[in-house]
Amino acid sequence: MITVVYRLIVVVVAVLVVWELFSQKEIKWQANAALVLIPLVLRAFMLV
Amino acid sequence: MVGTKKTALALLTAAVAILILVTPQFTAMHTADTINKGPGVTAVKMLSDYFAGLKNTPGDTAVYVLDSGKPGGTALVVGGTHPNEPSGYIGAILLVEKARPTKGKLIVIPQANASGFTHNDYSEGSPQRFALTTPGGERWFRYGSRATNPVHQWPDPDIYVHAASGQKLSGSETRNLNRAYPGRPDGTLTEQIAYGIVELISREKVNLAIDLHEASPEYPVINALVFHERAMDVAAIAALDLEMEKIKIGLEPSPKTLRGLSHREWGDATGAMAVLMETANPAQGRLRGATNEALVLTGQDRMYERAAKLGRLFIPYDKNGQPLSLRVARHVTATMVLIRDSFEKDPRQAVVVTGVPSYREIVTKGVGAFL
Repeated sequence: MITVVYRLIVVVVAVLVVWELFSQKEIKWQANAALVLIPLVLRAFMLV
Repeated sequence: MVGTKKTALALLTAAVAILILVTPQFTAMHTADTINKGPGVTAVKMLSDYFAGLKNTPGDTAVYVLDSGKPGGTALVVGGTHPNEPSGYIGAILLVEKARPTKGKLIVIPQANASGFTHNDYSEGSPQRFALTTPGGERWFRYGSRATNPVHQWPDPDIYVHAASGQKLSGSETRNLNRAYPGRPDGTLTEQIAYGIVELISREKVNLAIDLHEASPEYPVINALVFHERAMDVAAIAALDLEMEKIKIGLEPSPKTLRGLSHREWGDATGAMAVLMETANPAQGRLRGATNEALVLTGQDRMYERAAKLGRLFIPYDKNGQPLSLRVARHVTATMVLIRDSFEKDPRQAVVVTGVPSYREIVTKGVGAFL
């Protein structure tokens, strides 16, 4: 059960990061969000 | 630079491309190594046959039974307790594929912590796999992590409390199989694997149990045999016999206060004589340079050469390094000597194993020649 809750939290954070990616007005912060997204997606699928 | 919706979309596409690129590398770690059934294998069981709680979990692992069909004792060899210590599991695989018992029974678990083979230790830069040249061509084996995959067991506590003793260790040790014995049926995945192995030892009435490990060359307990007090005589005789064959091996008594380790808990919890053996793996060491497949296979590292010259190592080390074949040869030969010596007092309980290449053969031809 705790794993399901954890993965849901990870998915929510990943969605917020994508939101942030499209909200940022500087490309360096957009790149930052894109990089953060990679480990979040890998963890959401429990690949790492 | 100004970011726009277009640049955001381009960066999102790049992130997705990276994900598509790296995902197969992570999923490949979950593909099992091929282990061929040798002529001596009479049954392939699973650890869940001894503890049903492991069935359909990432902790279940193959147990190879090599039964001569003739009365005698039972010896157990465990490799892959730590999947970043390849001489242990390659040595165990060699036994599965080559050993032919003619008396008694040999049981081999080549990948004790199967979950640990599905990932690498972070920040270590270890290769995900390495290749050996065999008569059948190139054969790949995984190089895993010391601990259970956190995807399979999480979260780590701040402090790991060993259930049987109350001993406290750092939180990540909660995923270390060799701190989890004797294990618990209702514990973590790692504790359940430990429990399954102890159940196997009890149910199969194992007389001699050997756990194959590696450690870094700067660690004092290497090229060594760590023994439970009931295995002291056997370990001492084996060390002398190995010395006669010009294989130097140290003797270390299992500390009574260091709990959770195989050489302590197997001996305390079961009737088996418990022994753990260590070889020197520079790919695990803190002094190493580039950590790659070559280092795993050759054990050659300039920094370790320097450390040896400065007298900082506990083994002889020169430009020839500590090749995997040498380390496997040590484990396999010492295992054969221990099995032979442990049953000398009572020949009715003997385990006689044939078909295993000698130390010299493995070192000169390379371990791949026998796989």
